[in-house]
Amino acid sequence: MVELNFKAGDFVKFRLAREEIEARVLESSDSRVVLVKLNSGYNIGIPKENILDCVVVEKFKDAKKENVVPVSKGKPSIGLIVTGGTIASKLDSRTGGTAPLTDVSEFAKFYPRLFERVNVKKLSVPFMIASESMSSEHWITIAEHAKEMLNDSEIRGVIITHGSDTLHYTASALSFFLRDLKKPVVLTFSQRSIDRASSDAELNLDCAVTMALSNCAEVMIVGHANENDDYCFALRGTKVRKMHSSRRDTFKPINCSPLAKVWPDKIEFLEKYNARSEGLTKLDSSFNDKVALVYFYPGQDPSILDYYLVQGYRGIVIAMSGLGHVAIEDVNYFWESALKRAIKNGMVVCASAQTIYGRLNPKVYSTGRMLDEMGIIYLEDMLAETAFVKLGFVLGHKNWKSLVREKMLENFNGEFNSLLSE
Amino acid sequence: MDYAKLGFKAGLEIHQQLDTPKLFSGAPSFLRSDAPHYTISRRLHAVAGESGAVDEAVSHEAGLGKKFIYEGYRDTVSLVELDEEPAHAVNQEALDTALTVALLLNCEIYPVTQVMRKTVIDGSNTSGFQRTVLIAHDGFLELSSGQKIGIATVCLEEDSARLILREKDKVVYRLDRLGIPLVEIATYPDLKNAEQVKECALKLGEILRVCRVKRGIGTIRQDVNVSIKGHDRVEIKGFQDPKMMIKTIDCEIERQLLDLKNKKKNGEVRNAKEDGTSEFLRPMPGASRMYPETDLNLLRIGLDKINGLKKNLPKLKTDIRDELKKKGLSDEMIGLVLESSEILDEFETLLKVYSLDANLVGKMVTLWRNEFATKMNKTLMEIKEVLSEKVLEKILDNVNSKKIGAGDVKHIMMKILDGEKLENALKVEKVDDNEIEKEIRELIKTKPGLRANAYMGMLMAKFKGRIDANKAMEIIEKFVG
Repeated sequence: MVELNFKAGDFVKFRLAREEIEARVLESSDSRVVLVKLNSGYNIGIPKENILDCVVVEKFKDAKKENVVPVSKGKPSIGLIVTGGTIASKLDSRTGGTAPLTDVSEFAKFYPRLFERVNVKKLSVPFMIASESMSSEHWITIAEHAKEMLNDSEIRGVIITHGSDTLHYTASALSFFLRDLKKPVVLTFSQRSIDRASSDAELNLDCAVTMALSNCAEVMIVGHANENDDYCFALRGTKVRKMHSSRRDTFKPINCSPLAKVWPDKIEFLEKYNARSEGLTKLDSSFNDKVALVYFYPGQDPSILDYYLVQGYRGIVIAMSGLGHVAIEDVNYFWESALKRAIKNGMVVCASAQTIYGRLNPKVYSTGRMLDEMGIIYLEDMLAETAFVKLGFVLGHKNWKSLVREKMLENFNGEFNSLLSE
Repeated sequence: MDYAKLGFKAGLEIHQQLDTPKLFSGAPSFLRSDAPHYTISRRLHAVAGESGAVDEAVSHEAGLGKKFIYEGYRDTVSLVELDEEPAHAVNQEALDTALTVALLLNCEIYPVTQVMRKTVIDGSNTSGFQRTVLIAHDGFLELSSGQKIGIATVCLEEDSARLILREKDKVVYRLDRLGIPLVEIATYPDLKNAEQVKECALKLGEILRVCRVKRGIGTIRQDVNVSIKGHDRVEIKGFQDPKMMIKTIDCEIERQLLDLKNKKKNGEVRNAKEDGTSEFLRPMPGASRMYPETDLNLLRIGLDKINGLKKNLPKLKTDIRDELKKKGLSDEMIGLVLESSEILDEFETLLKVYSLDANLVGKMVTLWRNEFATKMNKTLMEIKEVLSEKVLEKILDNVNSKKIGAGDVKHIMMKILDGEKLENALKVEKVDDNEIEKEIRELIKTKPGLRANAYMGMLMAKFKGRIDANKAMEIIEKFVG
């Protein structure tokens, strides 16, 4: 085979058996294929074995354009934390794939409207990763950056852009970590990549700005309320969940109403909220990551609990069936003994609802009563994901050791809703 | 007009809807006139292309700031059309059809290619782009003069949403058309005059019609690229009627001549009007509006697939006509046999049973069945139920083995329709040749001076199906000079 001595970005002349092709080479995801962009703009692949000869006509020149960050004196200031995900990825012309936006100026190029409305006084990019790769360490880092911004007297609110997959975990974590919150903290995302004219990022970010400048001192997710590009919902950070793999209105309030309907230029509040106030926001990000979230299913072997025990886990949230049940009468598997063993060895076992909607109630059936008496903490209408984050947060506080049950059942930030509206 | 002197060059670009499910969702692909089940509203915003440049054609499209309303149906519109789900893999039926078109146009197929997004922000695509994939290049077709017209590219792309209403700040589209597969054929600028452009368009139409394409108004769109010496290429879109092509092209040449006189030469996209003139639509689109569909893998088109399609390439009508003529079918019969693919199939199957008389087979599947239907006041369907392909095959089998004569066939068909069993109908009790001769002598004696056909009619009336008509004619001709 002929030696292929060109790089992605080079303009190359290829000789094939029946024709010659002149084209810009792109990075190919398939090592057997040279991917090229023809002059017409179309990309095609050339199987490497078909190349008889090739000559580089023009080497790739990295024409880095200096983008200027617009300074918007006189406009209200916000803090912006960019962490990755679709909302902060652009198309890379060399690879033909998507790559993260790397600096503020690039962000400004893609979202000029944000910089027209506000002065981004502080912008931080602590990391650029997809949200499914985040862990509690990332939540803590985001919280630290947010706290610093929140305590800048000029900054009216903080916007965090984030991948949508696990955004509701981060929202929960920030709800617990940022104590005595005095200003809005708004998390937003996109489901459609920002290269498209139809991207949902535009409206989400526009409404996020409105919310960040509002009077609502809460941790919120702001995103499309429905399939229309009309308004967004502001959703309480502890009672929200990603409910659709691809639709733009993926985030839904669970067991509560949205905090507000948000348009780029107005807000209609639907629920009570903490009002903006003077003073400093504190950070309390103690977290014990030896916690797990387990989804119960019929026929499940309870020795999974022993595994977590052996691995040194301190707490576990079980997403239970119905009103809060696991198999007690299964002739093969003995959840009763496995649960007792775990609890006896100091494991905190919590129950949340795999139905997602509704409240647990262990008093209705004998199974529930038995589990309740064993010492399992029934977390009412709290979302399993929120419960998982909260358990790590509670167990992270050594001084709460004897108060774990009380703390898990204390309503820190709206994670319980006694009225179960919606 | 002296086209050669003007340095006239033209190429055609044809968009034809395929009759397959939608290209990137597999949803059903038909247009609806019933009330939509729901509407959604969207906005589009400007985006810098992958190189950071905003395409001139894109920025010209006045989609920004407008509200787009999309009408949808719960049972035929998927999340892909709503821009709420990533594209599914290319529909294989559509790909096969487009490849078939490319092969009929003698094109080279790309073994590996990539689905692209072409930025379109007039709202006609919910995503803000049209997905398109280049599948083949460098083919040709032949005009009646023998001149070869080069085919530059064959692409497979998705159709746009259907415009329902356009107001100042609001445009309404219907999603039924969005995503219907289109094959796009672009010729090289090999066309030397307006007449050739028209012939090439008709020829392409003929090729497309033997493939799995939609038929009727709006299912094919023809654009022409025209330039004269010194002027950049101008694309004229939206011909519905090939008859208007020549006039429109001649008008465009006049316009370009005027441009040159005024020291202008810019290429642009224009819209054909009914009177043959055209109006400015937008600047020429550039390559910077194209970027890859990142949600899909590279598209591989294997040799197995291509070879499989090559084996089953549909025949063009002109080719079939020539073949039928070679088999001895009269022009009139060719017309009748080609009326439907069903009849053609039947004809070809039966011809394999008895190939000595194509016209006989042709009459069996066309004329005679129709004739019986009229005579018996029955529908053609009812006739076909009795005189099925199987029955006709049996009859021809008997002709082939000389158990019955070709002249008996019509009578046998009639008898079967009258309720006689197939086996009985096939038993043709032959009248002895001597007896026929005797009868003919008798007829000539009693009614002298008639023509052969008249005697034949009388003979047939007497013996019904018991004589072979050809044989009888032979005998009559011995007596009537």
